[in-house]
Amino acid sequence: MTNILIQGLALSGLYALVAVGFTMIFSVGRVLNLAHGVFLMLGGYAYYTAVQVFGISKGAGIAIAVLAGAAFGILTYTVLVRRLEHNPIAVEISTLILAVVMQALIVVVYTSAPKSMWPIVPGVFRHEGVFVSHNILAAMVLSWIVLGGLVVFVRRTRLGRALRAVSMDRKGAVISGIDPHRMSLATWAISGGLAALAGVFFATYTQLTPGMWVAPLIIAVAVVVVGGIGSIVGSLVVAHLIGFMETVTTTLVAAELRGVFTMVLVIVVLVIVPKGLFGREEL
Amino acid sequence: MAFLEIRNLDAFYGRARSLHGVTLDVEAGRIAAIIGPNGAGKSTLLDSILGLVRTTGEIRLDGVSLTGRSATEIVRLGVGYAPERGHLFPFMGVRDNLLVGAHTAPRDAERNLRRVFDLFPVLEERQNQETGTQSGGERQMVSLGRALMSSPRLLVVDEPTIGLAPRVCHDIAAALRRMNEELGITILITEQNVNFATHLARDVLVLETGEIRLRGTADELMNNPHVREAYFGH
Ligand SMILES: Nc1ncnc2c1ncn2[C@@H]1O[C@H](COP(=O)(O)OP(=O)(O)OP(=O)(O)O)[C@@H](O)[C@H]1O
Ligand SMILES: [Mg+2]
Repeated sequence: MTNILIQGLALSGLYALVAVGFTMIFSVGRVLNLAHGVFLMLGGYAYYTAVQVFGISKGAGIAIAVLAGAAFGILTYTVLVRRLEHNPIAVEISTLILAVVMQALIVVVYTSAPKSMWPIVPGVFRHEGVFVSHNILAAMVLSWIVLGGLVVFVRRTRLGRALRAVSMDRKGAVISGIDPHRMSLATWAISGGLAALAGVFFATYTQLTPGMWVAPLIIAVAVVVVGGIGSIVGSLVVAHLIGFMETVTTTLVAAELRGVFTMVLVIVVLVIVPKGLFGREEL
Repeated sequence: MAFLEIRNLDAFYGRARSLHGVTLDVEAGRIAAIIGPNGAGKSTLLDSILGLVRTTGEIRLDGVSLTGRSATEIVRLGVGYAPERGHLFPFMGVRDNLLVGAHTAPRDAERNLRRVFDLFPVLEERQNQETGTQSGGERQMVSLGRALMSSPRLLVVDEPTIGLAPRVCHDIAAALRRMNEELGITILITEQNVNFATHLARDVLVLETGEIRLRGTADELMNNPHVREAYFGH
């Protein structure tokens, strides 16, 4: 029981980190970035290359991964999304294509063999039948810090307020002198960096493979659909809902079914509360 | 040279043309009003000043051409805009809405916030109320306040009295007059409420089906047979 609680908490923290950048892009630009999982994957491979191939320190490896994710976010926005912004379906199709292309490129460079990642924080926490890896606990603590920082950033800073303004009323933001394209660019950079950070931990939690972008994408989509939100606190809540559901399924039912339950939840919410539990898309 | 000069302005939505050769001047320090019926092109004209509509012709502010500039640049050059329907940020409090308005003038934010609260004391009491839950009158005040936060030299207001009770209209008129007299802001409004427009503004223009039909002082237009017929029915 305690085991489920702690595992669930830790996994949920990671899921929140996985989803938050995806929800930000959605609420600021009203487009779904279906390459979101690729941002995580790139973060994982960047960290792997830096730390396990070139032997750079873990801290520097994480920094490199985050920068690579942010750079890829900026690139994706300027080259692709900026030109298609008026048509969300075109953005979704092209980011999905981007994901498939990136998967192929990763196979070419790294082969399709899974790479196992060393834990960033080695060791396992054991106490009266409860055992959780230090790594996932670290991921949880880090997510809470990052998400807390993000809430403060969005509510208290000039740039954060401008992002919220664009998400709530684009014309209102434009006549206040805010350039919505610059705000989108900032969002893609932030989202890319956060996703890459999540990817480093996600990859240590699962495995580093060229197909690993699918699972986090499903989590992110589920959080947006179930939460119906741009609210960062909202995505935190929904990430916990999903994280706990998956932990319970894995522990008590069958590990193979955990993604299935998430998808069922998505469909149930779509049918019963189409606007999502929080009923709001604005940041 | 007038403070705001519009020359031969045509505005387009796709192929449809909503303004036809609009030419007008607003002198520095004045309040001017554009009156006209629904669909005349009032909002289109104001949106054009902010660079939000595709146009041909010339718009100059204090001699500087606004043509081809982005809304961000136009706001920085000194144009504040309170548009039709407000376009406020419904899930933000009053204060945050106002602070977004300070995006291009963060250094003046404290001073401008004090000015807004001085003009509209109700807003100071309700700083944290989300604007999505406010009354129409309060929202109009936030909208004007947000426009003031960028330290504008020209304030453009689209139908400030629409849907408001006479008492609130009176307060809004008083606030606009104070902005003009105390802060030296040149003001251009649109109105369907001809009484409001002629009481507030010195110069009045009549816009119909995308063209300026008449122009003159408020007194001249009040005595014009066409205006009496079209806007007062006698
Ligand atoms: N986004 C748009 N796309 C196409 N046509 C538009 C658009 N906005 C306005 N129009 C058209 O332009 C013309 C002028 O509209 P506008 O909103 O400027 O009039 P208005 O004088 O502000 O009217 P009202 O008093 O009802 O606000 C109308 O014929 C309108 O249908
Ligand atoms: Mg209008």
